[in-house]
Amino acid sequence: MTRLILIFHLIVTSTAYVSASEIPTDSWPVSWSEPAKTASELNLTVFRQAPSLKARVESGELPPLAKRLPNDPVVLEPFDRIGQYGGTARVFHSDSLWSINSTEPFMTIDAAAGQILPNVVKRWEYSDDSKVLTMYLRRGVKWSDGSDLTADDFVFLHQHMMLNKEITPVPYPPWRDMKSIKLDDYSFRFEFEKPSPLFINTLGQLSDFFIIPSRFMRQFHADFTDREKLIERAREAGYISWMAYFNSILRWQRNDPPLAPTISAYQLTHKTPTTEYYVRNPYYWKVDTEGNQLPYIDAVRADIIESAEVMAAKAATGQVDFAGFPTRTQDFPLYKLGEKSAGITTLQWSRMTGSDIVIMPNFTIEDDRLRKLYWDSRFRKALSLAINRDEMNNIIYFGRGVPRQVTVNPSSVYFEPEFARAYADYHPERARELLTDMGVVDLDGDGLRNYPDGDELVLTVEFLDSEGPKAISMELVIAYWREVGLDMRLKLVDPALQQSRATGNLMQMTVWHADRTSDILFPIEPFWFVPMHLGWEEAHWNLWVTWFRSDGEEGEQPPDEIIQLREWWDEMILTPNPARRIELGKNILRSNAENLWSIGTVGLGPQPIVVSKRLKNVPTQGYWGWDNRFAMTYHPATWYLEQ
Amino acid sequence: MSEAAAIPAELAEASSARLTWLRFKRHRLALWAAGFLLVSYIVVGLCEFFAPYDPNWRNPRAIFAPPQEIHFFDHEGNFHLRPFVYGYELNINPETWVREYTEDPSRRYPLKFFSVGQEYEFWNLFNANLHLVTVEDGQYMHLFGTDALGRDIFSRVIYGGRVSMSLGLIGVVLTLFLGILFGGLAGYLGGWVDSLVQRAIEVIQSIPTLPLWMAMSAALPPHWSPIGIYFGLTVILSFIMWTGLAREVRGRFLAMRKEDFVVAARLLGASQMRIIFKHMLPSFTSHIITIATLAIPGMILAETALSFLGIGLRPPVVSWGVLLQQAQNYQVIVLTPWLLIPGLFVILVVIAFNLVGDGMRDAADPYGGRH
Repeated sequence: MTRLILIFHLIVTSTAYVSASEIPTDSWPVSWSEPAKTASELNLTVFRQAPSLKARVESGELPPLAKRLPNDPVVLEPFDRIGQYGGTARVFHSDSLWSINSTEPFMTIDAAAGQILPNVVKRWEYSDDSKVLTMYLRRGVKWSDGSDLTADDFVFLHQHMMLNKEITPVPYPPWRDMKSIKLDDYSFRFEFEKPSPLFINTLGQLSDFFIIPSRFMRQFHADFTDREKLIERAREAGYISWMAYFNSILRWQRNDPPLAPTISAYQLTHKTPTTEYYVRNPYYWKVDTEGNQLPYIDAVRADIIESAEVMAAKAATGQVDFAGFPTRTQDFPLYKLGEKSAGITTLQWSRMTGSDIVIMPNFTIEDDRLRKLYWDSRFRKALSLAINRDEMNNIIYFGRGVPRQVTVNPSSVYFEPEFARAYADYHPERARELLTDMGVVDLDGDGLRNYPDGDELVLTVEFLDSEGPKAISMELVIAYWREVGLDMRLKLVDPALQQSRATGNLMQMTVWHADRTSDILFPIEPFWFVPMHLGWEEAHWNLWVTWFRSDGEEGEQPPDEIIQLREWWDEMILTPNPARRIELGKNILRSNAENLWSIGTVGLGPQPIVVSKRLKNVPTQGYWGWDNRFAMTYHPATWYLEQ
Repeated sequence: MSEAAAIPAELAEASSARLTWLRFKRHRLALWAAGFLLVSYIVVGLCEFFAPYDPNWRNPRAIFAPPQEIHFFDHEGNFHLRPFVYGYELNINPETWVREYTEDPSRRYPLKFFSVGQEYEFWNLFNANLHLVTVEDGQYMHLFGTDALGRDIFSRVIYGGRVSMSLGLIGVVLTLFLGILFGGLAGYLGGWVDSLVQRAIEVIQSIPTLPLWMAMSAALPPHWSPIGIYFGLTVILSFIMWTGLAREVRGRFLAMRKEDFVVAARLLGASQMRIIFKHMLPSFTSHIITIATLAIPGMILAETALSFLGIGLRPPVVSWGVLLQQAQNYQVIVLTPWLLIPGLFVILVVIAFNLVGDGMRDAADPYGGRH
């Protein structure tokens, strides 16, 4: 599989649409896009540790380094040079969650989100029918409490969480229909009902959440401990159920211990309402090219701040060492000014989004007139043609993004230039014609169009303004739509409202950023193109998704075009034949280009990454997005603070 | 020279209105403030004419452009009778990504007065295109600079003023009506009516205003038209602000009910209405006017505060609060301080109203008070 993706990468030639945003692969050490080497492969035999750990070993608090590292640790090549130990890195809490701590899934992916590389799972094989995936673990990796990482930790999620009726009341695919079998301490396998050749994509991108410190967590799981006592403990700690208690320990959602151990570089020790405190994991299983145990940095302190303005101000004035998650494109000049006075460097990375804004009309809204309007492809085309993407690119992205329709990234094997060009030009006249054609005209002479029956037509777009320049983009979009006579209102909502109104099928139209447009995620999660997902990212076609999920028992039967779309995708994730998969993927994307199920604006925009002068080894270029898990592929464990 | 002798004959016979005016004139600051307010209301009343652009018109060539300077002398030092602005040369600094605008001497945009410019719909009545000051088609003039989308701040301040300043006036009229009605009823009738009104006032006043505003404006349906929201907000503000005035009016009525001249009027057989409107009300108009004048800036500030918090008026309506809401970020202070100009006008108008109120208080009682 890995090799196949590589080959297809070579086959696809770049186009004009690519150049603006493609990052040459030699921007990073070559070893980052290859399976990680181990110490023995590089003849490393001497290992060193941080001075702070040495002191703890001498006092007998910790076992010696040799007992903590695996026999053959993984070697990471730093971006620039070998680092220095020590220091406390300051970040915002979103970056402690998504950037500065190392992300350790089963397998991992490369920076361009194109191939799958080994991580704790060092080798894997599919059966010929793609129904059995056998995985082999690295030996000697330890949790941050010193216990061994074994195959138990990899089947625990499935066996005792996904299939546990209390933790997961309604099991869902693929977990519901699969089996997980431990073969020995260092190998296990997943058996699927249907061929699942793409399950490793999920494992490469998301599975850090799937590795559970099973030995530690058993003491909080009702199947392994005295239920009554556990419930008692959960109550005392302020939780309504043992499951909530279990989850908060596992996912670090509490202020104080117990907190689950980790195999990542940093362990959360405690939280206050304003700050999170992390310390280095003394058992971290990766070393640098000279045998120094990683991470270099001793501790991380993360400020918990909600206000985007406050975060922008703090980042621009050098009060954090790294900011990537909350930084906004429009604040680029602010951060650049900070370079002169605040001792920071502002790097320009590329946002890994097929479109920074994806506009989704709700096809299954409980409003028949609106539904009819949305379902008419002329309406959606008019919405798209009325948007002046070049102007948006200049105003919001300083001319450095790529105006395009929502589709996969240009480097993807599923990409065709025409997908990105579809209805992406600015043609307000044509948009007006299409609307007039539909009978959506101004009947009462107020300059704004009405429903064909004469009623006032006012559409409301509700969305959550985070991760990207959504509010300013939508303000422009609304202005463009008014220019063709459509009265639209914007309503900003908070995360809780976004969650409840989007999943509750209550939003007329919502907005998200079109990530999941890489070769890893597009095939398994084509959110914007196929009805297959319910979540806060979309309020697009909820009743159809429910219909597919319940095999036609609940929800609403979608039109034939949509069923066809779904059939393509169903086959796409089953077929072991890569050529057929690409053909099907292109069918889906072509359908969007022709029908505009979702509407895009500008993609692959610049992402400001603010780095303090003392933080070293951060790559100067990179892709930023969910598809490659933000900073995961740039190995934050190798970043260091110059003393 | 004794004081009585100093009063000229014309003053001795002057009507009360004339006396009021003469008295008001002596308050220099109030006079200036009143002049300022008068001009402001004329400008915002005729804002389509005074503003060079539609408040939502975008100039894509001038995103975050700083205010243009008005020149009489060009770069070579030649004097021009007709003032002009220079067009901007935009250069996005490749290093800092800051949009840097420099005056381009080759593009001189002379200002045209009473001239044809952008088309507008005057008071939703008829179409026109006459502007006080504008520039040729294809040229542009942004005296207060532009915002993130290239909209003219000068025009937006003027249009925003129409909404904010009229909301203050209309709101105060409603407040006065409610305050006099309930205060008068309570004071004149007394008894259980008085108790009821008093308790209602206490309840309303005991709730912190900001959360109460927030709750009430959250109750405005989001699909209402901008005009509907505008009136909804006015009603909300006056519903909360009438209580102070009602107290005042009630107190006055209570005190005055027993005054000799009221008793006299009653004994002479005057009707209740006549007593209230002819005898009692005029004796505390000065109070009411003062309170009303001082309440207007309160209204304006309340609207600004609510819109600033994002729960009052919303775009595409332009009000000073909406403008300030869009200026509430760190980048504005560092890079685009001209977005704060609307705040300056809020301050000016509020101070002016307070000065005028002060002057009115003295003037409305021309026979008494300090000299």
